[in-house]
Amino acid sequence: MALTGRAALLAALGSLPVGIWDPSWTGILAVNAPLAAACACDFALAAPVRRLGLTRSGDTSVRLGESADVTLTITNPSGRLLRAHLRDAWPPSSWQPGTEVAASRHRVTVPAGERRRITTRLRPTRRGDRQADRVTIRSYGPLGLFTRQGAHKVPWTVRVLPPFTSRKHLPSKLARLRELDGRTSVLTRGEGTEFDSLREYVPGDDTRSIDWRATARQSTVAVRTWRPERDRHILLVLDTGRTSAGRVGDAPRLDASMDAALLLAALASRAGDRVDLLAYDRRVRALVQGRTASDVLPSLVNAMATLEPELVETDARGLTATALRTAPRHSLIVLLTTLDAAPIEEGLLPVLPQLTKRHTVLLASVADPHIAGMATARGNTDAVYEAAASAQAQNERHRTAEQLRRHGVTVVDATPEELAPALADAYLALKTAGRL
Amino acid sequence: MTTEATLPSTSASPTARQVWTRARGVALAVVLLLVAAVVIATIRSDTRHGTLDPRSADPKGSRAVAELLADRGVDTRVVTTLDEARAAAAADTTLLVASPDLLTHRQQSWLRSTTADSGGRTVLVAPGSWSVERLVPGVTADPATSLDSELSPDCALPAAQRAGTADLGGVRYTTTHLDADECYPSERLATLLRVPESTGDSDSIVLGAPDILYNERLDEQGNASLALQLLGSRPHLVWYLPSLSDASAADSDDERSFFDLLPSGWLWGTLQLFIAAALAALWRARRLGPLVPEKLPVAIRASETVEGRARLYRKANARDRAATALRSTTRTRLAPLIGVPITQAHAPEALLPALSAHLHNHGDGQTLHTLLFGPPPSDDTALIALADQLDALEREVRRP
Repeated sequence: MALTGRAALLAALGSLPVGIWDPSWTGILAVNAPLAAACACDFALAAPVRRLGLTRSGDTSVRLGESADVTLTITNPSGRLLRAHLRDAWPPSSWQPGTEVAASRHRVTVPAGERRRITTRLRPTRRGDRQADRVTIRSYGPLGLFTRQGAHKVPWTVRVLPPFTSRKHLPSKLARLRELDGRTSVLTRGEGTEFDSLREYVPGDDTRSIDWRATARQSTVAVRTWRPERDRHILLVLDTGRTSAGRVGDAPRLDASMDAALLLAALASRAGDRVDLLAYDRRVRALVQGRTASDVLPSLVNAMATLEPELVETDARGLTATALRTAPRHSLIVLLTTLDAAPIEEGLLPVLPQLTKRHTVLLASVADPHIAGMATARGNTDAVYEAAASAQAQNERHRTAEQLRRHGVTVVDATPEELAPALADAYLALKTAGRL
Repeated sequence: MTTEATLPSTSASPTARQVWTRARGVALAVVLLLVAAVVIATIRSDTRHGTLDPRSADPKGSRAVAELLADRGVDTRVVTTLDEARAAAAADTTLLVASPDLLTHRQQSWLRSTTADSGGRTVLVAPGSWSVERLVPGVTADPATSLDSELSPDCALPAAQRAGTADLGGVRYTTTHLDADECYPSERLATLLRVPESTGDSDSIVLGAPDILYNERLDEQGNASLALQLLGSRPHLVWYLPSLSDASAADSDDERSFFDLLPSGWLWGTLQLFIAAALAALWRARRLGPLVPEKLPVAIRASETVEGRARLYRKANARDRAATALRSTTRTRLAPLIGVPITQAHAPEALLPALSAHLHNHGDGQTLHTLLFGPPPSDDTALIALADQLDALEREVRRP
C-alpha cells in the first residue's frame, strides 16, 4: 500500500478550513477523518495486485548496440478495473545511462477480466546476460488517493552478444580469400597445400617446381601448381586473465580480441577451415569445438557473450596444456593476449616450444592508441616524460615481439580498430604461404 | 476463467500469513520486553514513590502523621503550587514545605514575603543552603552534614523537651537570631531550629532531616511526639509539595510567549500543514520497487602503468632514463630509413656514418653523436630541447 500526492495535497488544502473555521482538535479531526475514510475506500476498491497474471515474451538475444523488445502481458482476473503504474526492473546496464526511468516505467489500464500488453525496450550497454528483476505494480483506487503495491517475479533473460563491428571488413577479406582459394594456384609447396594441377612453364617460374615426369610425356615443360589445403584446424585462444581487463578507449581489451576472433572465424569458416574456441585464464571459461561451418559463428558469439575478464594472472602452463589437448592435429593456434613483457616472458615463453613444435602459432595483441599518442607529446616537462615512458613501453613491446618471432611465432600488434583486419591479413598470408 | 487457472502465480509480495509468520518472533520479543519493563517498574516503584506525601502509606510516606493529626482535630490539605501555598498561609495554619530546595530563588522570596507576616507557622523540611537563607533570613546551613541520627534535645523548646530523643540529624544550622531555639545539636550545631518572627505570632521551624515524618520511623524514639507538637500547633496544616511543573517556577512568566501572540487559527492551520507534510513524505518515501543490483566490470585503463611510469620519472627527475628511452626509439626508427639493420641501430659506428651520408647537408658528426648517444641532459629544459631536436632529425631524414 502507498499514499499518493493527491492525498497529501488534500491534507494541505485542509489547513484552510482548519485555520479559518475551526482552529481546534475538532477541526483537525473533521478534515482528516473523511480523508482517512476516503483513503480506506480507495484501498478497498483498488484492483488487487497479487492475483494479476503476468507472462513475458519477446527477444532473447540482441547484439550490443541494438535494442531488444521484451513484452509483458498482464491479465486482470479480478472484477475491478486495474489502473496501475508499473516498473519493469532490469539491471542498470540494460539501458543507456539516463534513460532507465523513462524506459522501465509504464502506465497501464486493464479492464476487469481482460489482458493488456506492454513492451519494454532494452538498449544494453555491455555484453552478457541480462536477467529481469521484479515487476512492481502500483494499483490506484478510483479516487487516486491510495494504492495497493506489489511485486511479481517473471523471469526472462536477454543475452547481449558481442557487436562484431569488424564484420564490415569481411567482404574485402573474402575477396582476397577467393583470389587464392582454388582459383589461384601457387607454386610453393608447403605443409598446408595440396596438388592442384599441371600447367605450362612460363619464364619466371621456379625451376624446382617443374614436373619432369609430365614434361617427358608432352612436348612442353610442365610445372606443378599447388593450392592451399582446405579443412585445416584453427584454435582461437582468448586470454581472459587480468591483462584482458585493461580498457583501451571505452572497451576492455577482451572485447577487441573477441571482435578480431569473430572476423577470423567468419573468414576461416568460409575458407573451409574448422574453427574451435578456447577461453582460458586459470581454468577453461569457454570451449567451442567441432562445429560445422554454418554453425560455428553463432556458437562462438553465444559462448563469447558471457565472457568477462577475470582479475587473475593467466596460467600459461595450463593454457598450453589445454590448447594441446584441444588441438590434437597440426593446427593454427591464434593466441589473443597481450605483448606486455612480464606475462609473456615469465608465463608464455618457457612453454611456447611445446606449442610451436606441433602447431603454427599466431599471437595477436591489442595495442593502446593512447600510448602511441603519448609518445608524440612534446612541449612541457610532463609531456616529455610521458613520451619517454611510452617510448620505453613501446620498446619493451617490440623486444617481446622480437623474442616471440625468434620462436617462429607470427605477431600481430594493432589498435582495436585495426586488429581484426590485421589478424585476418596475417591468416590469409599464412594460408597463402601454405603454413596452416 | 480458464486462463486464470492456467497462469502460475508470479507474485513476489509476501501474503498476510507470511508477514505474520515473519513478524511474530519480533512481535513476541517486543511484547515480552514491554511486560518485563512494566513488571520491573511495578516492583521497583515503591521505594521512592510518594516520599513525604501525607497521602502515601509507603515507608517513606507521611500518611501516619496526617492520620494522627486528624485524630487530634488538625486537618491536612496538600498543595502543589506556590500560589495555592501562598493563598493558604494564615494565622491559624501551619505551612509545611516538604522539599524547599526545589523552589527557585524567586519562589523562595515570594513564599518568604507571605509567611513572614501571616501569623502562622512555617515548617521547612531539610532545606539546604540553596533555600534556607532566603526562607529564614539569619539562618545558614553548615556544609558538613551530621553523621548521627539519634540526638537528644538539649534546649528549652517545650516540644523538644517533652519528646526527648528523636531521629534528627542531617543538615546542621547556625543562626544569628538571639531568641531562636537551637535544639538537637550534633557537634554543637543545631539540627532543629525554631525562629520566631520579630513581629507578630509567626515562627519558622527548620528540620535538619525528614526522618521524624516518615511512616517507618514515626514509632521510634520521640519522633511521633515531636512531629505532632511541631505540626499540631495550629488547627490547619497545609502540606506544600513543590513540583517542577509549577508555572510560577518559570522565570519569564511576566512575558507572553510568541505562540501566545499568534492567532490560534494560524497554529492549527500549521499543524494541519505538518500532517500534510508527513503524508507527502510517506508518498515520496514509497519506492516503486527496490534498486536492482548488478555486478560491475572492472574499469582499468590499459595505459595506466605507462602514465604511472611517466609520473615516477617526473618525480625522480629521471632525465637520464627518459633521454635514453627517447634516443633509443629514435635510433630504432631511423635505422630502417637509412638502411642500417635493426640489430646495429644502437651501435654509433654503424649508424652515424650512414646517417650523415643520408642527410642533405651531411650533418656534423660530433653534433649527431651528442644528439643520439650523448650524455643525459642536465635539466628539464635541456630534456625538452633534446626531444625537439630528435623530432627535427627524424623529419630531416624522412624528407625525400
